[in-house]
Amino acid sequence: MSDLIQTIACPQEITCLAQRLRNSAVDQDRHPNAILDIFEQWADALNDRHVRDIPGVTFLRLWLRRGTLEPILRRELGPDFLNGGWSEDGRARLRAVPLGVVGHWPAGNIEIQPVLSLTCALLGGNSCLVRIPSGLIEPSRLVIEQLQKIDHTGLLMERLAMITFDHSRTDLHEAMARTVDGAMIWGGAESVLQVRSLPFPHWARLLVFGPRLSVAAMDAATWGDGNERSSWCRRIARDVWQFEQQACSSPQTLFLECGPAGSDPAELVEDLKLAFKEENRAHPRQQIEPVLTSAICRARAAWLLADEANQASFPETPDWTILLGKGSHIPEPTQGRTLSILVADDLLKVVSKFDGNVQTLGLAIKDKQREEILTDAAARHGVDRVVRLGQMHVFSSPWDGTDLVRPLVRLVRHVSSQN
Amino acid sequence: MNLLADIQSPELEHSISHLLEVPPYGIAPEQRHKALLALFKQELDYACARNPQFCNYVKHWPIAVSAAQNISDLPYLPVSAFKANPPLSLVPPRDVKRTLTSSSTSGQVPSRVVLDAATSKRMTKGVIAIIRDFIGPSRRPYLVIDTPENLGRQAELGARGAAIQALGSFATEISCCLRPAQQGEPSLDLEKLLASVEKWKDAEVLVYGFTHLIWVHFVQALQGRGITLNMPRIHVLHSGGWKRLERLAVTKDVFIRNVSSVFGCPPDRVIDYYGMVETVGVVYPDCELGYKHVPAFADLIVRDPLTLAPVGVGQQGLVQVCSVLPTSFPGFLLLTDDMAEIIGHDGCLCGRRGTHFRFLRRVPKSEVRGCGNLETTRQRFERGSNV
Repeated sequence: MSDLIQTIACPQEITCLAQRLRNSAVDQDRHPNAILDIFEQWADALNDRHVRDIPGVTFLRLWLRRGTLEPILRRELGPDFLNGGWSEDGRARLRAVPLGVVGHWPAGNIEIQPVLSLTCALLGGNSCLVRIPSGLIEPSRLVIEQLQKIDHTGLLMERLAMITFDHSRTDLHEAMARTVDGAMIWGGAESVLQVRSLPFPHWARLLVFGPRLSVAAMDAATWGDGNERSSWCRRIARDVWQFEQQACSSPQTLFLECGPAGSDPAELVEDLKLAFKEENRAHPRQQIEPVLTSAICRARAAWLLADEANQASFPETPDWTILLGKGSHIPEPTQGRTLSILVADDLLKVVSKFDGNVQTLGLAIKDKQREEILTDAAARHGVDRVVRLGQMHVFSSPWDGTDLVRPLVRLVRHVSSQN
Repeated sequence: MNLLADIQSPELEHSISHLLEVPPYGIAPEQRHKALLALFKQELDYACARNPQFCNYVKHWPIAVSAAQNISDLPYLPVSAFKANPPLSLVPPRDVKRTLTSSSTSGQVPSRVVLDAATSKRMTKGVIAIIRDFIGPSRRPYLVIDTPENLGRQAELGARGAAIQALGSFATEISCCLRPAQQGEPSLDLEKLLASVEKWKDAEVLVYGFTHLIWVHFVQALQGRGITLNMPRIHVLHSGGWKRLERLAVTKDVFIRNVSSVFGCPPDRVIDYYGMVETVGVVYPDCELGYKHVPAFADLIVRDPLTLAPVGVGQQGLVQVCSVLPTSFPGFLLLTDDMAEIIGHDGCLCGRRGTHFRFLRRVPKSEVRGCGNLETTRQRFERGSNV
């Protein structure tokens, strides 16, 4: 086990760590600009050859840039936040103050999620107690090692404690919950419910990012355009490949608007096959869990056995799968680079069937006005993000309809006792 | 019914029967492979002519059946395909004599396979051929460590009933030593057991039970009373998986030691076998060296989960079972959710020819969805693709 990630054996160890983190958060302000400067250097350091190939690190390098984060901070906390200190609010003053110690329970299937989660809390000036899932210890260590290298004064490192313990150790989860002032909780429904029910202080603020799925949609004018189709297919492939299609923002289904007579979705499938093959060549799998292989084989068979009109394309390997049919309901997701393509008469009707389970809608729509109508409908039916295909994973604020930094600070109001 | 399918049936029947008549572990692998490949191709064509959905699956397989050079190239179904309702069938409903259902754990949908008379007959022959090779051909008293209701001839039969009845051909008389559940679990009928033991004390006896039933309701029940049976000439066959015993921290060695101690028989008389309703008729008992062997009318492929390509000797992966026996359902080539290791493709020191393997474990069930689990089973650092 690395020194950066401490294996926890008893609740007292967590209590001690949290006390150190709280002292650090309370005793000294961190100027937002200083944090952004360190993040900028960290982004550069992540180009190190030992780190840059970790899935998601390319994105993390973009995320940590001042150019990405400054606009987010301005929008969430106002233009004065970056200056630090108090800002005028009529006859009062306002100041964003960290919650204190923020606990992080990231999901275990996205390599960079522990780091993305903690960056949100650090931006708010908080200290972070991060439970690293057992499968993510090594990538998390490598990424944080780069921060350690450039954070010579310990400006951020002393506000950071990364710990690991067996997921079944309820006593340690409880100890962690008792010591924090806020939490970022990510994961599947069962896990999220379990963490939420831990004994947090009554003042603790919880940000919960539960399980959701995402879909893509393309209008007939776009997929019928032979000149543009292959580049859209490359974008779809990119969105499907990232995070092994396990992220909430991964497209599981692509809805194709039914084209005019004579247009054949098989042309799109052919282009998509090429794009998938190319993406697979560039980013081959190194390993797979047998359970995912089984799920992929099950999905292929279930699809083709369900209806003799259903079609599919897949290689002998479990590398990728395209399932083609008709319909307007989102099928049960398989993940593992398995994309269901459903031809539908009307995308608006498809979107109108969405519920809060859909996080992101990736769009490729030629007509701007039409896109706006679809976006409005999607927003009304529970979708929190509507983005261009190829950008479905761009982690930004708000995420899941929630600000990422704002909920992790308190806005303190001071009305002077003097006239 | 498609005319082509009807024409093919007698030809198929002849080819399958031939494989059922040869010694199950006596054919050289290369000789067997050729015969099986041709037969599986015939069976796939036969199935395609009878089931358009199955035909759709085969049609989309990346390698055309006609172009397949190896059994591993042929289209295989995941076993879960038999969880469909109505069950996948190659015969009209009037020809279905019996439906077998898997022993699904709570909340899971059971698999269902339909048997017509011909498939049913072949499956019985298959089990007899295999088991005879392990315990000898003679008929003998049959002690069933289960409840009597599993002996009935129901139209829909569970995995336990199917396994019990498959061994019925070896029985001169049958006794079930568990009482039906009053509340939840069955219990040992000690009086009946001891009467059977007394009656059969000098005979060769066949004993069968599900692994967890034998442990919980037989071994523990007898050990709790300090009773040891003196039945040195028995064969104890058991199947049904180790999941529940793993929860009780009971290893295979511990199981065998305790079962042989309770029966008063040598440990090599306790035989674990691997099987499932989807491939009923082909079971894989442990040989003296602890390996499972593939009979003449079947094959077994272990596939690398990363590539789905067959693995070599000493490597592990997902098990694909292959059987020529069914013609009432498309259960010829099935990818299971089990993991195994290939030990060799011939030359086991036990004398049986052909592929032998070691069962490892079930692939853990997992719901795949959304932004994943807080805790993953992934214990490695995956490199390669990035954002």
